[in-house]
Order: sequence, then structure tokens, then C-alpha cells
Amino acid sequence: MDVVTTSGLGKTYAGGTEALLDVSLSVEKGQIFCVLGRNGAGKTTLLRILGTQLRASSGTATVLGHDVLKEPRAIRGRIAVVPQEARLQMVLSATDHINYTCLIRGMSRPDARKRTREVMEELGLWEHKDKLAVDLSGGLRQRVIIGMALVMDPELLFLDEPTIGLDPLGRRAVWNMVRKLAQKGATVILTTHYMDEAEALAGSLAIIDKGRCAFMGTADEAKAATHEGLQVIVEPIVSHDAADRKVLKPQSNEDILEIVQRSIKEGLKVTFKPPTLEEAFIHIVGGSIEEDAA
Amino acid sequence: MKKMLREAFYIGVFDALPVLRDPILLAFLGLISFIPVIFMFVLVPGGMATQALVGAVVLTLSFTGILASQSIYYNKYVMRYQDMLVASRVTPVSYAVGLSLGTLIISIPALVLSFGLLLALKMIGPVEFLLVLLSSLLMWMAMVFVGFAIGSSTKNVRRANSVPQILSFMLGFIPPVYYPLSALPASVQPFAMLIPTTHAAQLAKYYFGLVSMSQTEIVIGWVYLIGFAAAMAFLTLKKAHWVDP
Repeated sequence: MDVVTTSGLGKTYAGGTEALLDVSLSVEKGQIFCVLGRNGAGKTTLLRILGTQLRASSGTATVLGHDVLKEPRAIRGRIAVVPQEARLQMVLSATDHINYTCLIRGMSRPDARKRTREVMEELGLWEHKDKLAVDLSGGLRQRVIIGMALVMDPELLFLDEPTIGLDPLGRRAVWNMVRKLAQKGATVILTTHYMDEAEALAGSLAIIDKGRCAFMGTADEAKAATHEGLQVIVEPIVSHDAADRKVLKPQSNEDILEIVQRSIKEGLKVTFKPPTLEEAFIHIVGGSIEEDAA
Repeated sequence: MKKMLREAFYIGVFDALPVLRDPILLAFLGLISFIPVIFMFVLVPGGMATQALVGAVVLTLSFTGILASQSIYYNKYVMRYQDMLVASRVTPVSYAVGLSLGTLIISIPALVLSFGLLLALKMIGPVEFLLVLLSSLLMWMAMVFVGFAIGSSTKNVRRANSVPQILSFMLGFIPPVYYPLSALPASVQPFAMLIPTTHAAQLAKYYFGLVSMSQTEIVIGWVYLIGFAAAMAFLTLKKAHWVDP
């Protein structure tokens, strides 16, 4: 079952900027769906339209079975949003932020306290409960913001570049949280610039380029679209010269076997390098990069 | 209705919480509108300090009302809480009332102090007291609307901070709020009457028995305040957006 579908979605801002031209995609329930794209590609615009915070100019979009323009109120109680670069009130504690979000969302004081503790424990924030936001690391601050979004157990969570500026451990903490959420049955749609993040998380992904959906499918399908295949790198065990390095593109399993056997005989090191999502991304949006350069 | 009031209350408290948790800042914000009172008390003989104190009551609410512009701006463009709240069951009315309430909450200590001092200096009846409060609240409401229009229509952080300060200065310190209208030359007085804070201050001073006004002037004062608040409400409806267009 699709929780999000868009058809020919477009957005032109008042100043004439065309942020989205024609985006058609669908997201299945319980999926972690990544939206990739260069800066200014339209990722945030897409998320804001789906999150009912921005009106589309053309096309249609349904979220959880409701039209985003006609029935936004039917959607709003069931979703949550973590906007790009959202910030905390620096002089308030992590607990203040989550507890007040619970109270604003209609929980009684005892229920809000209980839910705050649950969410903070789940996100590894309880030990920092009394620290002011200013004293928290970037990763912990981001977890507090995500915690604010999670208090109502949303069916669909929108995360706009949730790990930007986080260190590797902070990013992994957010990844684990996203995975846990999906395991519970929630659908997560997130935008990111990090290809490793998309590879680690995405069940399915879309690449948005110049306001259009340039690709939709799995990470493996994106890699297959590069037509690059497996690369085998053969080089001396100890070498500081890049010229000693040979990049081979075997066409069959026999080719691979032959390369390995020959390398063992010659005492060379063999490294297998499958195509990466980053290469696929560059391949897919490459045409437009060249157009820009021209 | 109950749900909306509850949402608004907690939005207001959460918005005011950074100030409420910092008593020094709270005291400072409350004292800003008292600074001219201190000068009037020290430098000007007679009952001028009492007039200035009435001005402080009116301006405490105006100053904090216009602070709504900063709440709107920071919640929308810096913290991005507005986006988080749009994508929830919270209504735009709860949000607007809540942020307005936040400004009222931080003005309570200064209001209690100024009314306490005023009533200690000059006791008035409960009806007059309520009318002073009502004129100040109308001024506050109008300034909240001004704040909403500024905060939601500017994307420039410098302007979001500076425009309310300049407006506060122009509405508070230039017109006859702290000092009597009669201190201005007769030719300038009609211009002073174009500024809404003059009307709020004149009405408050009248109800405290500090100036005399004709029935026509009183009616004009109320009509002007209500009209100004309505015009600012209209401006806010035109400028402020819950869902971005």
C-alpha cells in the first residue's frame, strides 16, 4: 500500500523560481524512502508540500490517502516533520523541549512526563535530561528535535537532512533511530546529500534533479543504471605510484577468476569495487552538471 | 475551544520560558518601560512622575506586544517550530493566540509593579481600573498584530530585530505617553493624536484623573484604538501565512 503518491507535482514560487517541475513518485508503507538531489534540486520543496506546509502549484499529491491541498487536516494528526536545520531554544533543556511538545499536542501533564521519558530513553537522551540545549553536542541536539517529532508516534515521518553536520557516531545514532521507527511500521521519508546514508537506510529512493524525478527505485537499481558493473583494481602490495594501479572491468565470472589467479601468481593485491551509489548519482544527474558547466 | 485554549497556553508558556527561566532578563524587560519614569521622578517636579507611570503601563504592553514579531520570526525561520506545528493538529489560531499570550506572560511582573505603584499613588475605582486595563490591552493587541505582520513578512534577520525596536521607540518615546499632551506646542498636538499610543495614554491618564477630556475626545480615543487594532488585524491576515503560498 502506498502512503505517498505524487503525480506531475510542481511548485513555482511567487518570485518565479521553479523549484519543482514534474515529480511523480510513490512510497510504500513501512519503507525508508530517501530523496537525493543536488543543492536547490527541490528536495525540501517536495518534503514541505507533502508535509502540508507549502502549497503545490501544479499536479497532485496524496499522503496517507488524503489530498494534501484538499484535506490537509486529515493528514496533519498522523505525520511529523523535522525541518532542515531546525534549532533548539538554547537556554531550555532537552526535557523542556520534548515535554512541552507533548503538552502542546494535547497530553495531560502526567502523560506528557511519561511520554517524554519514553522518547528520551529510546533516543538515549535521558542521561542528558537536565542539560541545556547549549551544552548538548550537535548530535544530541538533533536527537532532541527528532524526539519532538516522535512524541505522537507518527505514521509518517519527514526528515529533511537530519544528519547534516553530525559526526559519524551521531549519524549512526540517527540511522538506528530511523530503522527502529520503520521496524515499528512507520514510514520515513528523508532527504540527504550523503550517499552512504541513502545506501545504509533506503529501501527505495528518488533522485530529484532540476525539479524533476530523474530516478526512482532501489539503490541497486540505481547502480545498475550506471552500466559500470564491478571494477577490479590490481596493484602491487606496496606501491606509492598511482601509475602501478590497473582498473579492470571484468565481463564474466571467468574473467574475474583469471584476474585473481594471475594476480596471485604475480604477487599483486586485488581489490573488488562494486559501483557505488555516488557514481550512480553522478551518472544520473551528470547530464545536468555538464549543462551547468557549459 | 478548550483544546485550542490549552494548545495556546502551552505554546505561550513555551515561547516565554527562556525569559521566565531568567529572572534577571525578565526584570530587565520589565524595567525598560520604567526608565523614563525614573528620569521624570528625579528631574521633573510635581505630578509628572505619575503621568509617566501611566505611560509605563501602556508601553509595557505595547513593547511586549511588538515582541511577537521576534517570536514569529524565530519560530518560523530560525527554530522552524512553525513548520513542525503546521504538520500537527495544532491550529493556526492556537499558534497565534499562544505566541501573543507569551508576550503577555513576560509583561505580567512589570504590569503588577506599575499598577501597584500607580494605585499606591492614586486610588481609582474598579470600573476606571478595568477601562485603563482595556485600553492598554487594545494597544497590546494592535501591537501583537503589527508584530505578526512584521515577523511573518520579513526574511531578513536584521530587520526582524531592528524594525520592532524602532517602532517601539517611535510609538513610545516620541509621542506624549510619558509626558503630558499639553507639553507639546498646540500646532504639533494634532500630529501626536495620529499615533495610537497617544490615545491609549490619554485615556489611561483620564481614568486615573490626571487629565481632563471631553466625552467626544473619549469616544474618539476608543474608536481610534479599536480601529487601529482592527486595521492591524487585517494587515496580519493579509501578511501572515500558516501554510506557505
